[in-house]
Amino acid sequence: MAERSGNRRHRWVVGVVVALAVGALVAAAWTDVDARTQSRNEGAALAAANTHLAGLRHQVAVTRFAEAVTKSKRDALQGSIASTMSQLAVTNESLANANVHAYVQGVGINTLQTCLGGVKSAFSQITAKNNAQAAKDITSVSGACTQLAGGANTGLVYPFDFPDPSVILAGQTSYAYATNSVGGNIQIIASTDLTHWTAVGNALPNLPGWATPNYTWAPAVAMIAGTFVLYYAVDVAGTGKECISVATAGRPQGPFTDRSTAPLECQKSLGGSIDPASFIDTNGTPYLVWKSGGPGSSRIWSQQLAPSGTSFVAGTNPTSLLVPDQSWEGATVEAPDMVTTGGHYYLFFSDNDWDSGNYAVGVATCIGPLGPCNDATPSPILSSGQGVAGPGGESVFADTSGNFWIAFHAWVLGAVGFPNSRDLYLRRLTFSPTGATVATSG
Amino acid sequence: MRSLLELEPRPFATEPARPPRLSRRAKWVLGLVAGALFAAALGSLLADQVHARDQYGRTHTALGITQQRTRTVSSQLQELSRDLSVLKTQVGSDTTALSQDSSQLLGAQTSLSAAQAHVTQQASLITSLQSCLVGVEQALNELAIGNQASAIAALNAVSASCTSAEASSG
Repeated sequence: MAERSGNRRHRWVVGVVVALAVGALVAAAWTDVDARTQSRNEGAALAAANTHLAGLRHQVAVTRFAEAVTKSKRDALQGSIASTMSQLAVTNESLANANVHAYVQGVGINTLQTCLGGVKSAFSQITAKNNAQAAKDITSVSGACTQLAGGANTGLVYPFDFPDPSVILAGQTSYAYATNSVGGNIQIIASTDLTHWTAVGNALPNLPGWATPNYTWAPAVAMIAGTFVLYYAVDVAGTGKECISVATAGRPQGPFTDRSTAPLECQKSLGGSIDPASFIDTNGTPYLVWKSGGPGSSRIWSQQLAPSGTSFVAGTNPTSLLVPDQSWEGATVEAPDMVTTGGHYYLFFSDNDWDSGNYAVGVATCIGPLGPCNDATPSPILSSGQGVAGPGGESVFADTSGNFWIAFHAWVLGAVGFPNSRDLYLRRLTFSPTGATVATSG
Repeated sequence: MRSLLELEPRPFATEPARPPRLSRRAKWVLGLVAGALFAAALGSLLADQVHARDQYGRTHTALGITQQRTRTVSSQLQELSRDLSVLKTQVGSDTTALSQDSSQLLGAQTSLSAAQAHVTQQASLITSLQSCLVGVEQALNELAIGNQASAIAALNAVSASCTSAEASSG
C-alpha cells in the first residue's frame, strides 16, 4: 500500500513537472513568437520609414533642383528687367532729347520761315521799285532775322544790309543812316531805345543830276545851324570817281535835298573822296573828315566847314590826318569819325579790306580837329571775333544819358563778302586819354 | 549484459499483467534526458527570444532615428516647397514685369525712331531754308543797288534749296 501510494505521488509529481515544463516551453515559445513578430513588425515599420525617408529625400533633392532652376530663371528675369529698364531709361532720355531738339528745330524753322518771308516780300517790293515798303517788310521780321544772325548779345540791332552806319540823336529818337541798299539811296531807320529799329525809308529820294544812281555811300548827318545836313559819297556820272556831296533837311528823317551842281569835295588827283563825317567842336565849329584814294593811297583828311555846314570855310584846305602806317591797317584807312570828350580828340577809322573779315576799326588821338593825329593803340579796337566778322564803317554817338556808343557794320560769321549783308551793330564805348575801348557785347 | 529495461519477474497469473516497470536508474536517465531536452528547448527559445528582443530593440531605435530624420526632412521639404512657391510667384511677377517693360521699351524705341526721323527731316528743311535765305538776301542786296543780273544769279543759285524748303514746309 505504501509502495502504491509512493508511486502515485511520484507519478503526480512527474506529471506536474512535465506539465510545468510543457507550460514553460509553451510560454517560452509563445513569447518567442511574440518577440519575433514584434521584431519583424518593427523591421517592416523601419523599412517603410526608410522608404518614406528616401522618398522624402528624393523630393527634397527634386525641390532643391527646382528651386535652383527657378532661382536661376528669376535671376535671369531680373537681369533682363534691369537691362530693359536701363535701355528704357536711355531710350526715354534720347527721346526727350530728340523731342527737345525737334522743338528747338521747330522754333528755328519758324524763325527761318518768318525771316525768309520778310526778305522775299522785300525782294518783291524792290522788284516793283517800292523801296519804302521793302524796308518796312524786312524791318517787320527784324526780330526773327536777328535771332538767325546770332542774337542781340553781339550788339546786332538791324540784321539787314546797312553798311557804313551813322547815328544821330534828335530829341528822344535816334536815327541811323546807311549806304544805299533796300531802303533806297540813303537808308534811314529810327529807334527810341537803340534796340528796336523801324524803317523810315529813303533819306535822299532824289540825287543831283551829276550823280550816278545806286552809288550813294557812307552817309553822315549832323545838325548844323538848325538844319540837318547830310554828307554822303556818290559816284560822279561819266568820271568813275567817287566824290562827296551835301544835302539838307528840316528834320532828321528827311527827305534831304541836294541842290548842288557839283560835289562838295572831290580829290580826283588822289583817286576821289568818300566816307565823309562831320565833327562839331566844343566851340560849335563844324569840320568835315573824309578819306581820299583807294587801297595803297588812302589818306584821311579834315577841313573846317562854313557855319552852314554846306561848304568849306573859304581859304582853307584839307589837312591830312592819317595814312596807313600799321601792319594791321593793310593798305587802307577810311571811314573816319571824330569825337571829342574829356578835352581829348579821337579819330576813329576803319582799315584793311572792306570786303573781307580783315576789316577792323582803329582809333587815333589828335591834338585838335585838324590834327596832328597818331595811332593810339598797337592793334584795332574792334576786329573780327565776338560773333562778328570784318567790323567797320563806324560812327560814334552819345545817347540821351550821355553814354557813348559805337555804331558799325559787320558781316555775319560765315557770310563774309558782298552780296552778303553788312548788318548794323551797336556797342558801348569808353574813353581813356590814350584811346577807347569797345564793349565785347551789345 | 542486463538491459536497462530488463523485466521484473512475472507476477502470479491471477494478477493482471502489468507493464514492465522501469528501473530507477532508467527513470533517472530518462528524467535527465527529458530535463536536458527541456532545458535545451527552453534555452533555445529563451535565447531566440532574447535575440528577437535585441533585434527589436535595435530596429526600434533605428526606427526612432529614421522617424526623427523623416520629420527633419519633411520640415526641410516644407520649407523648400514654400521657398519654391515664393520663387515661382516672383518668377511670375517678374515675367509680367519684363513683358510690360519690354512693351514700354518697344514703344519708346518706336517713338524715338519717329522723333529722330522728324529731327532729320527738320534738319534738312533748316539747311534748305538757310541756304534759300542766304541766296534771297544776296539777291535782295544786289537788286537794291540795281544789279539785276547778279540778283537773278543769286536766286538761281539757291532755287533748288528754296524749292525743297517750300516742298518740305508744305
